[in-house]
Amino acid sequence: MQETYTLSYDLDARMLPCEGVLRFTRSGRVSASADGAELFDRTLEGAEEAAVLPGVGCGLIFLKMKDGEEFVLCRFSMSALLTAGEFCKVVNYYIQTNTAAIPEEKETRVCEKCGRPLVEGLKVCLFCYNRTSVLKRALELLRPFRRTLLVAQIFVAVASFFYLLIPLFNRVLIDNYLSQMRGPAAHIVMLAGAMFLARGLNEVIFILSSRAYNRASIGYANLLRTMAYDKLQRLSMSSLQKRTPGDLIRRVMEDTSTVKDFISDAGRWGIEQFIMFVIVMVILLITNPWLTLLVFLPVPVVAVGMSRFWRFINIRYERQWRRSSRCNSILHDIIKGIRTVKSFGNEDQEIEKFMGETRKLAEVSSSNEKLWALLFPSMVFFTGIGEFLVLYFGAGAILDGGLSLGVLVQFTMFITYVYAPLRWLVSFPRWLADAMTSMVKVFEILDEDTDLPNKEDPANVPLTGGVSFEGVSFGYKSYEPVLKDVSIDVRQGEMVGIVGKSGVGKTTLINLVMRLYDPNAGSVRISGCDLRDMSQQHLHENVGVVFQDTFLFAGTVYDNIVYAKPDATQEEVIAACKAGGAHEFIIKMPDGYNTVIGENGHTISGGERQRLAIARAVIKNPPILILDEATSSLDVETEAIIQDSLHKLIKGRTTLAIAHRLSTLRAADRLIVLDKGKVAEMGTHAELLKMKGIYYDLVMAQRQTGKKNK
Amino acid sequence: METATKLTGLSEAIDLGILDPAQAEFFETPGGFTGLRLHGTEYKRVALRRAMPIAQPSSYISVADHENKEICVIRSLSDLDDENLRVVTAELDRRYYCPEVVSIKSVKDKMGYVYMELRVTGHGETFDKNCAVKDVNKNIRLLDESSLIIFDVDGNRYIVPSLAALDKKSLKRLEPYLF
Repeated sequence: MQETYTLSYDLDARMLPCEGVLRFTRSGRVSASADGAELFDRTLEGAEEAAVLPGVGCGLIFLKMKDGEEFVLCRFSMSALLTAGEFCKVVNYYIQTNTAAIPEEKETRVCEKCGRPLVEGLKVCLFCYNRTSVLKRALELLRPFRRTLLVAQIFVAVASFFYLLIPLFNRVLIDNYLSQMRGPAAHIVMLAGAMFLARGLNEVIFILSSRAYNRASIGYANLLRTMAYDKLQRLSMSSLQKRTPGDLIRRVMEDTSTVKDFISDAGRWGIEQFIMFVIVMVILLITNPWLTLLVFLPVPVVAVGMSRFWRFINIRYERQWRRSSRCNSILHDIIKGIRTVKSFGNEDQEIEKFMGETRKLAEVSSSNEKLWALLFPSMVFFTGIGEFLVLYFGAGAILDGGLSLGVLVQFTMFITYVYAPLRWLVSFPRWLADAMTSMVKVFEILDEDTDLPNKEDPANVPLTGGVSFEGVSFGYKSYEPVLKDVSIDVRQGEMVGIVGKSGVGKTTLINLVMRLYDPNAGSVRISGCDLRDMSQQHLHENVGVVFQDTFLFAGTVYDNIVYAKPDATQEEVIAACKAGGAHEFIIKMPDGYNTVIGENGHTISGGERQRLAIARAVIKNPPILILDEATSSLDVETEAIIQDSLHKLIKGRTTLAIAHRLSTLRAADRLIVLDKGKVAEMGTHAELLKMKGIYYDLVMAQRQTGKKNK
Repeated sequence: METATKLTGLSEAIDLGILDPAQAEFFETPGGFTGLRLHGTEYKRVALRRAMPIAQPSSYISVADHENKEICVIRSLSDLDDENLRVVTAELDRRYYCPEVVSIKSVKDKMGYVYMELRVTGHGETFDKNCAVKDVNKNIRLLDESSLIIFDVDGNRYIVPSLAALDKKSLKRLEPYLF
């Protein structure tokens, strides 16, 4: 059993770097030392809370005492922010329960090998990541496509063989017939025919190899995409929220596509070039080792030159790409917000801004093109030096009678076969790096552990009872608690309204009921069963939710309703829509339930969309209903209609409802007022008014606003 | 004939709550925080926030109480007397931590992240920092033509106040990310 929980911090009181350690011991004491010197050692007696206070680029932990005094315990850079939050959790648990719960494993934020920071959400250090292991894993996944790839490689080898025959035929043609100005014409025609056939077969077999490679690479990308998408669907909200939608889409679509391109292009070319290189080398060495040496003499210089050239050019083109991307984003932004631009009369300012950016892009592009126009021909000239050497010395050897013209022609043709793989080899590391990066990103998603695990043997009890929160504490970031020690008991069939100012944790409370997150401390129970003990599917089948912003998928009205219960009968769909007050408007549309509603339901009004959402929530006939500002975006009249539907529905169901407009919670049996993450007041509307507390103030403030608006 | 109604100026309609420096006494608490005595009220912990930390770090400093309710705004640090200036500057230095980059020892692109070894200086001391930067387009940001700020994956900030002051090698290492 661990006796001490420690936090390494890196800034002293003057904000100078230090090697500090903050310790919490089972005996309820906190102490700190920095650079070997002990700073303080104090008891937690009289402490109310340990909290993180984030600054800009730094943060601190302080201890809040019951008598109002506050003490800074340590200061740190942002690298220690998350672990500082964990430290506070451990200390606060002790303060609340007087028992020390020291976690066995502590999350590390730096790589143990190189000391570099670990990227959030990743347990491996990208800097030290073993590329071989990524490649090995990628190859393992290629297993189902092994046969197709083998066939493709055989095709490539055969195609290369036919391609290499052409210079050999050329040599025979020149040496045996053309240079001697004799020979039957039929032989020359036969040789020309053989060259034509070799070239034709090379192309045909190459097409077959391309098809095989494409089949394997598309299948592989499809496999990766499916696996990544499958995993995405199973990840928790907190895992998903660490990344932007764009990032997730890129990983599923673009990264898998990069891997596909690598296999279909780089893989195919690589093998082809390698085979060519080896065969040409053997032929050249057998034919004339001295001339072969001349071919390879400039190779090291050419390879280094090309590598430098591509690196230099890549950096410049990357900058051009970034400039272009910036222009695109400005354009995207302005076109999206064109209404705002016009309403402020800022067209000229925006034109100026965009012109400035395009001017910079034009400057970079022009400079790059100039450089390219200068450097590329120079590089091509340089790589041709071997050819000149072979021609010079080869011609000399022909004049001396030591070499035939055919052999020289064959050599000059093969030189291009040698330099092509070389050019390819120079760009290969970059292609490989891009593909590896994409693979790592896909594997990262595949490897991510879900932080909302399903229990192996779930207790899927009927969820007909009430909902209870027992000492629940939770924060989206461990150092910023949103709910603090919340205990609520909602009885079966009771409607409870949750009220409070913005940001007090109302939505967080219902997110926990839906188990989109697990509490940091305490438990949420339905029918007495901890949500972590039942399967998530069982929970979601029994809870119906209506959000403020309803998302409707592209499809028909019918499709959107049965989304919640795919096996619903048509009668159930109509019944749900009647219950949600949606049937009336659906039936008036020419295509009724088969009306296609656009992405996000744009073709129907906000009120209608909300009624569809209610119908979707109730089609499962859930015993628990959650309404998160379900009617707040609607006008009073539409709200009244929907409220009417809702009142009929909530009878007998345990309902948790959040509303800013307090009048919408008139039917609630009880109201819970949240303030600063805690339950501040609880009771009926009348009881709370009598208390003249937060709820009373909220009601009075809304009445005042209502009167002013009138 | 209609008479034009004079519009109320924004500064007349909205009280900025500018602090009268003569009335304020900032002090350091034994617990390591900064407090304020103003008009007979003692605030045991105040938060100082720059309204424009990059463009105007010495002007418009918001002073809020421990519940983040704004008490007043310091128009300019130069309005404060020596003692208040010392306490306020020290608190701002503790709240805004952004070491300056002296040189860049290495930059390596690994799997879409840029790993940098920086030599930085903060509060008069020079030291080395290893950092990883994700999405360089967003997190290596030019503030103007000559200065830039780097945000690493943890949320740490490093400022290059003058690109021209960097040595040639450092600038070359940084160059691919300047656009």
